Amino acid sequence: MARVSEGQLKEVFADLFGLDPNTVGDETTRDTVERWDSSRHLLFVLALEEKFNVTFTEEQTLEILSYPLTRLVLEEHGIHFTRPSKAHGERGR
Amino acid sequence: MIEAASRPIEPEIGGALSRLRDQPTYGAYVAVSDMLDGAAAGTMPPLHVSLLTNFTVDALVPVMKGEIALAGFHPAVHVAAPDTILQESLERESGVYRSRPEVVVVALWLEGLTPALTSRFMALSEDEARSELERVLNLLDEIVSALRFHTEAPILINNFPLTLYPVQGILDAQSENSQTQLILALNQELVRRVRRFPDVYLVDYMSLFARIGGAQAIDERFWQIGRAPLGRGALMPLGQLYGRYFKALRGRNRKCLVLDCDNTLWGGVVGEDGMGGLRLGVSYPGSSYQAFQREILNLHDRGVILALCSKNNESDVLNVLRNHPDMLLREEHFAAWRINWDNKAENLRRLAEDLSIDLGSMVFLDDSGFECSAVRRQLPEVAVLHLRTDPSTFKHALSAVGFFDTLSTSAEDRRRNQMYQADRERKQAYAQSHGSLDEFLASLEMVAEIGLADDLSITRTSQLTQRTNQFNLTCRRYTESEVRAFLKDPNSRVFSLRLRDRISDLGQVGAAIVIYDGPTAEIDTFLLSCRALSRGAEDALLSEVVRIAGENGCCRVLGRYVRSSRNAQNANFYPSHGFTAIAGEEPGTTWELAIQTGLVKPPPWIRIEPGKSERGRGASI
Repeated sequence: MARVSEGQLKEVFADLFGLDPNTVGDETTRDTVERWDSSRHLLFVLALEEKFNVTFTEEQTLEILSYPLTRLVLEEHGIHFTRPSKAHGERGR
Repeated sequence: MIEAASRPIEPEIGGALSRLRDQPTYGAYVAVSDMLDGAAAGTMPPLHVSLLTNFTVDALVPVMKGEIALAGFHPAVHVAAPDTILQESLERESGVYRSRPEVVVVALWLEGLTPALTSRFMALSEDEARSELERVLNLLDEIVSALRFHTEAPILINNFPLTLYPVQGILDAQSENSQTQLILALNQELVRRVRRFPDVYLVDYMSLFARIGGAQAIDERFWQIGRAPLGRGALMPLGQLYGRYFKALRGRNRKCLVLDCDNTLWGGVVGEDGMGGLRLGVSYPGSSYQAFQREILNLHDRGVILALCSKNNESDVLNVLRNHPDMLLREEHFAAWRINWDNKAENLRRLAEDLSIDLGSMVFLDDSGFECSAVRRQLPEVAVLHLRTDPSTFKHALSAVGFFDTLSTSAEDRRRNQMYQADRERKQAYAQSHGSLDEFLASLEMVAEIGLADDLSITRTSQLTQRTNQFNLTCRRYTESEVRAFLKDPNSRVFSLRLRDRISDLGQVGAAIVIYDGPTAEIDTFLLSCRALSRGAEDALLSEVVRIAGENGCCRVLGRYVRSSRNAQNANFYPSHGFTAIAGEEPGTTWELAIQTGLVKPPPWIRIEPGKSERGRGASI
């Protein structure tokens, strides 16, 4: 069971979709993010798996279509997110 | 300095690149790659890479682009549609050739080439399996020959990972014609076939996937979903492996390893623990340091220059080098050292001067986080490797990064360290001579062997164009096949300069490429290795270039100078030899010499001999 800061998940969204990490949140979904097409989705899945050292099931790779859903699926893999007290947009592990 | 005058890389990309360098994640590669796609090249020279594949490489491309940028180039990557390799390589007007690649990457997945061998092996008889193998090899042969025919760009092609789970289970290991043995045979035969072509290099997927572990590296999910077989464990290592090829091909590899001593070469602090108190020997924990020293010796034997930079009393360290019974590295392995209590960045600068190499070819290695970050901050061009954990990990930490990668070895590489040692002797001789510099140079009894390059000197000549930065008047980088093309062209001459003196033979240290156009001989490339600087060898080479141009009926010689960040000290080479500026050209770039009015005089202390190939073919060929 790993506890990591939410900023790290936001960083993956920011890197993959060209977003400001501070704007990533519950409203960040595949429908609202321009760069989130099907070929980018594959890179997104790989980036999450590499960052959090998990392997999604095929079904999960199709489920993670928004920030809240991604959080939820990662929690199923034992990754628990803590809300940072300061900035959201911290870098690094 | 030219760096200050030119436009910096966009600060945003610069920041993203340093984040990538310090803490690479796949996401960081994607972010950098997106930024580069949206940005102008700025001050980074472009590198055009063309990719031909039979599987989906979308996820790999961002890592390749990030690696190209880390090597100092703006990536211009052209990816051909999957499964069009044969058409793209055979058709001379195809997208691959139109993209004018500087490197062609052929990335192949075995299952795409031969599903029979990989997935339905049991259906094949022994003969059928053999002929399937032959079919794959012939196909690869056809692709490489076509590419080699249509482009001069270096070609990278990969070998194949072994099957994760051979269909015959443990029986597979018992047979000479097993699935595993067939893939091994394929990989082995591929080396033999690829070696017949110039400038074609194998990318070793087999070893890489073995290092990563197939289960981490290969992802069946994405293979089934979209023919994308690379898993999260493979993307960064594979992209970084390609990065090592790009660096080696473009001369961005390093030449010199600068080592700390205490807790790096041995355990303990010699100034406190004394020579007897050091951890170094055949048994643990001293054995880890010996293993590390063996790895360093391997680099030394490959031609990497070794140096020491340590905060210590010099006599203490020299005593260990000379007298510790378990040291494997000895005084003679080091080309230079700075052992004192000064700032390490300053010592690195002095070492670079001692060795006449630039800071960009150095790697600094230390166990102290403080020293590493101080050097990173003060000398960003030096690559820094921080040995942060147990000494047993040092060996692999050094090998994994591949700082010293080369794609060919010339005899010079293996002898380089002996040459630096001879250089140390020469400096001592000079210090003891008390005479004038001219007298000292005369006392070296130098012989310059200058002639036209031949097949044997192509590798070294290409290396010199890739690696020489200070005395390189145009900094044009040429691959082996480009040098060969100059050799074949009746209108160009490739000169090679070999230098020896009474202390040692320095090997080929200089090259010039001259293009004849009617009455004009234009010097396209003129360079001298840093280890032969300050002896007048460049004057000897120029005198021969001019003399032979005259013999070939030319009446004027054009010399060009293209300013780079490192060759400013030679901006006046041509005018100092009687060349005059040409009106109308940008000042300082083009100079001419009328051959009737003046030949260039070689320095009196160098004897010039015709080169071997020239003796064979006559001076004016």
